[in-house]
Amino acid sequence: MANPAELLLREQFSTPVQQRETATFGMWIFIMTEVMLFGGLFLAFTVYRLNYPQAFIAGSGDMDIALGATNTAVLIGSSFTMALAVYNAEIGNRRLLSLFVILTMILGFVFIGIKFTEYYMHYREHHAPGVWFNYPGPDSGHVEMFFVLYFLMTGLHALHMFVGEGILTAMLIRNAAGSFSAEYHTPVELTGLYWHFVDIIWVFLFALFYVEGLHLHKL
Amino acid sequence: MAQPTVSRKTYFLTFLSLLGLTLLTTLVGFIDMGPFNTIVALLIAAVKASLIAAFFMHALYESKLVRVAMAGGIIWFLILITLTISDYISRNWS
Repeated sequence: MANPAELLLREQFSTPVQQRETATFGMWIFIMTEVMLFGGLFLAFTVYRLNYPQAFIAGSGDMDIALGATNTAVLIGSSFTMALAVYNAEIGNRRLLSLFVILTMILGFVFIGIKFTEYYMHYREHHAPGVWFNYPGPDSGHVEMFFVLYFLMTGLHALHMFVGEGILTAMLIRNAAGSFSAEYHTPVELTGLYWHFVDIIWVFLFALFYVEGLHLHKL
Repeated sequence: MAQPTVSRKTYFLTFLSLLGLTLLTTLVGFIDMGPFNTIVALLIAAVKASLIAAFFMHALYESKLVRVAMAGGIIWFLILITLTISDYISRNWS
């Protein structure tokens, strides 16, 4: 019987190992372009943060740390279940692979749910930038800039979460169709890379938007 | 049976460390340390990101080519930040 990985070997590759390494390299190149995409926004944040330190720390002090920290834990949990999905793909356990992909998707949706609850709270508090924006004090315009960057950066991150959910759905369907085995599971690995990368972005967003102004919270 | 890249135990320890560091950064954040609030928050975030990349993303187990790609992205980002900031912080020196 032919090795299943041999059957899935595209003609431009010599060996399954070469095929896997090429795909992994390509995924990392894509992730680095994502670093550049988010990098521009991180740069904008850094410049404004340096110019208006008071306003940015004040804005950060208005974040809901309970929701933010919970969401960070949820996302780290989803990265853990994603890692276990990759583990089960590697040993060829298709049932557990599906289970962990589903768990990752559920945690991802919990994250998105909490995030949009926060957006709604900002909107209610008139912290959403625009004509309804209202913040007392002389720094109002600069705090609004903080919230502009907050919505842009967490919004772009949330968009990546939705894309991730779509990719995970595709992995679930392909696994149900029997596409993956211990010999061939590169797409699951690459999905993992994407999901963990989005987690890394959130770790920095959490530090900049939530943790920086924590000391202004009243205990 | 194929050999998995990273053991379940390593994944679990990484997961626990990440949760611990999240708790740590949240608790330390409540202390007013002046400019060090930002520095400590970013340092802990960098450690967390490294843990995710090293173990969850298998960065430690990849080929040199992949590591060069990672380094390229990170160095590019640092150039972007450093050169821009060196402009902004050196203005209005009168």
